[in-house]
Amino acid sequence: MTTMMMNQMETTVHYDNGYEDEYMMQEDEWDRDMLLDPAWEQQQRKTFTAWCNSHLRKAGTQIENIEEDFRNGLKLMLLLEVISGERLPKPDRGKMRFHKIANVNKALEFITSKGVKLVSIGAEEIVDGNVKMTLGMIWTIILRFAIQDISVEGGTLMQKSKTQKCDDPLGNLNLAFDIAEKHLDIPKMLDAEDIINTPKPDERAIMTYVSCFYHAFAGAEQAETAANRICKVLGVNQENEKMMEEYERLASELLEWIRRTTPWLENRTPEKTKSEMQRKLEDFRDYRRMHKPPKVQEKCQLEINFNTLQTKLRISNRPAFMPSEGKMVSDIASAWQGLEQAEKGFEEWLLTEIRRLERVDHLAEKFRQKATNHENWASGKELILSQKDYETATLTEIRALLRKHEAFESDLAAHQDRVEQIAAIAQELNELDYYDVASVNQRCQSICDLWDKLGTLTQKRREALERTEKLLETIDQLFLEFSKRSAPFNNWMDGAMEDLQDMFIVHTTEEVQSLIAAHEQFKATLPEADAERQAILGIHNEVQKISQSYGIKSSFINPYSTIATEELLNKWEKVKQLVPQRDGALQEEMARQHAHERLRRQFAAQANLIGPWIQARMEEIGRCSLEIGGTLEDQMTQLKQIEHVIIAYKPNIDKLEGDHQLIQESLVFDNKHTNYTMEHIRVGWELLLTTIARTINEIETQILTRDAKGISQQQMNEFRSSFNHFDRKKNGAMETDDFRACLISMGYDLGEAEFARIMMLVDPNATGIVSFQSFIDFMTRETADTDTAEQVVASFRILAADKPYILVDELRRELPPEQAEYCIMRMPPYAGPGAPPGALDYTAFSTALYGESDL
Amino acid sequence: VENGWVLVEALLQGGAPWGFTLQGGLEHGEPLIISKVEEGGKADSLERPLHVGDELVIINDVELSGFRQEAIALVKGSYKTLKITIRRYTCLHSCVS
Repeated sequence: MTTMMMNQMETTVHYDNGYEDEYMMQEDEWDRDMLLDPAWEQQQRKTFTAWCNSHLRKAGTQIENIEEDFRNGLKLMLLLEVISGERLPKPDRGKMRFHKIANVNKALEFITSKGVKLVSIGAEEIVDGNVKMTLGMIWTIILRFAIQDISVEGGTLMQKSKTQKCDDPLGNLNLAFDIAEKHLDIPKMLDAEDIINTPKPDERAIMTYVSCFYHAFAGAEQAETAANRICKVLGVNQENEKMMEEYERLASELLEWIRRTTPWLENRTPEKTKSEMQRKLEDFRDYRRMHKPPKVQEKCQLEINFNTLQTKLRISNRPAFMPSEGKMVSDIASAWQGLEQAEKGFEEWLLTEIRRLERVDHLAEKFRQKATNHENWASGKELILSQKDYETATLTEIRALLRKHEAFESDLAAHQDRVEQIAAIAQELNELDYYDVASVNQRCQSICDLWDKLGTLTQKRREALERTEKLLETIDQLFLEFSKRSAPFNNWMDGAMEDLQDMFIVHTTEEVQSLIAAHEQFKATLPEADAERQAILGIHNEVQKISQSYGIKSSFINPYSTIATEELLNKWEKVKQLVPQRDGALQEEMARQHAHERLRRQFAAQANLIGPWIQARMEEIGRCSLEIGGTLEDQMTQLKQIEHVIIAYKPNIDKLEGDHQLIQESLVFDNKHTNYTMEHIRVGWELLLTTIARTINEIETQILTRDAKGISQQQMNEFRSSFNHFDRKKNGAMETDDFRACLISMGYDLGEAEFARIMMLVDPNATGIVSFQSFIDFMTRETADTDTAEQVVASFRILAADKPYILVDELRRELPPEQAEYCIMRMPPYAGPGAPPGALDYTAFSTALYGESDL
Repeated sequence: VENGWVLVEALLQGGAPWGFTLQGGLEHGEPLIISKVEEGGKADSLERPLHVGDELVIINDVELSGFRQEAIALVKGSYKTLKITIRRYTCLHSCVS
């Protein structure tokens, strides 16, 4: 059983020499073989725990969990004290980490003081509960304090173990463990099943366990020491040689590994992407965490082995071990140093590269973003800038476009920065040697090209807009000018047309003349007006020319004026037509006025003759009627003559009427050539006719009166004279005052009532004048009036034989039949007392006859 | 009243004779005038007596046409009462020139 174990141990002690170049695979083998195999770990843990507890028992304590219970260092110190039999420094009693580290350090220092090199085992790792480190440390302790002592008597162990049979491996093992525990007081540190079933049981565990056997047997074998000493010495030799071989081998392997690993660490081939580099870094990390530590341990192991060997040799008074060339401790150390140097360099390089790639990636992303943003912004701008919208814009629209363009220009300027940034990034990417820098450059180039293009287009557009604006402004000015001039001109033409078509009513040639003069004045202004028209038209044409030659296509409506050029031209033509028309009209009128004038003169000439002639006749008649000398018959004859003349003159009146008709038909109503109107003449003529008739009639009446009243011519002449005398105004009639004066002069003493009565008689129609006839009537009545009535009454009284009434018979008897019947018919019946029936009142009749009735 | 002409109404009572004489008339182409007023007669004894020169205008509410015959007939037709309206020229100012 033990042999088998030993064999197994032996086989397991050999390291695999089949290393491949890839260090990774080495690591795997290592792991599988040794520490990281969970079965192995488990075995080690178990064995080591048991071993520790076998010693700690003596101190009255145990451990349950080997990776935990040593972490504070206290039990570790205790263990060491028990194993070595020496006292350690006093442990720190604190619970803090540094207390624990201090305690563990105390333990480690003790171990180191015993000549054990603890490479890469640190107090911190133990305090942190690093399993590998803890187990490694325990193993080192075991090695130093248990197995090393065994080395001399290792063969004894082997010999002692050969006795048992191998037919029942499991049973034998278990029996062995039991016996060991019962009789040798060696605790079961291993499981038989584990050892049987595991292809390569943990060497250290087994060694540890076995070491206990040694210790168990050691005391009993002192007697055999002498013979053993030789074996021991030989064994020691063998062992030493083995160890030297082992050292050499390990050294070779390690150096080989270093040699293989170093180039990898010195490789500076950059990767394209950060992730690739990160993977490299990860690989490096794996190397540092997983692959190198075992190598560290190996080195440590190597050192330990070397030290152990040297110590052993020294102890056994053998010459020191001299490793072969290139495998010296210093060689290994320097190779290791080189490795670590390369590591550091590698790590640095990795980090730098990663940083670079990071930066590059970042920049590349930044570039993409910025470029995309810029491209988005720029898309479509080219098209917009190439628009020709200004060709059909109005002035306000152009100005708006300019504003917009200004805004765009500032936007463009703002983007200048960004383009520069993009270019800068591209430049940096070039400097940083970005793997896809070609496409970056291409994109950057296209962006810059487009940028330049945009700049050019912007400039061009600005120029075009400004130019168009200027043109439109010019046109606008022209429009304004047009409107300013066309409005008054239009008004003038309207006024002119009105005037030219003005209806006139004139009555004199002078009026026509002044109209003609005014018209001539107007005609004089025409050339000036025409010039103005030309000017206005010129403005219009100017506008047309500008728009055509500069290709401005916007529709041209003059915003300031509602008058179209065509309208102006039409009006002008009309005005031109109207001018000669008016000339004609005025000339016609002139002719008419001349004709009228002729008529007027004709009439006037006639009337100026007739008027005075009539006047003369009237005076003649007046004189005639007032004449005193000569008889009434003479007067009559004269008057008749005058009448004759008058009648003979009638044709003149008729002719004048004819002239007057002409005048009236021509609607001429005035005539400054004569003061006589037709009406005047008519009235005068009629008056003349009536006057002559009346005057003749008056004379006739006078003749009758004279004859009737028996007035002599002389009396008549007296009456006439009186009358003429008091006819102050000499117009053939007396006024009221004249008559009064006349009466007074004749001796009448008149009261007002009396005078009124008389006036009533002479002027019954209250005309206010007394005619000669009335005067004569009055004068003759006054002398005859009362007498006549009394005489008749007296006459009738005689006939009535003094009675107050008269009888019918008496009338018939005294008067001619006709008169008698007249009286009988007319006489009212007598109403006085004592009258017989049929008595007639001759008094009433008489007074009534003579215009008086007594009532 | 115009220019001194007044209208006067007279109411004579008691019957004929009334005490005045009429002269003129349209038959003779003259106005109808009172030519005599009998002194102490009815016409003379009124509050406002009739005067020579008064022109007859209305008799018994009948407007006269101017004919004497008509006037005489109207007067003679009255029994106990005779209403006459005359027109008289009265000089308001001094008329003597």
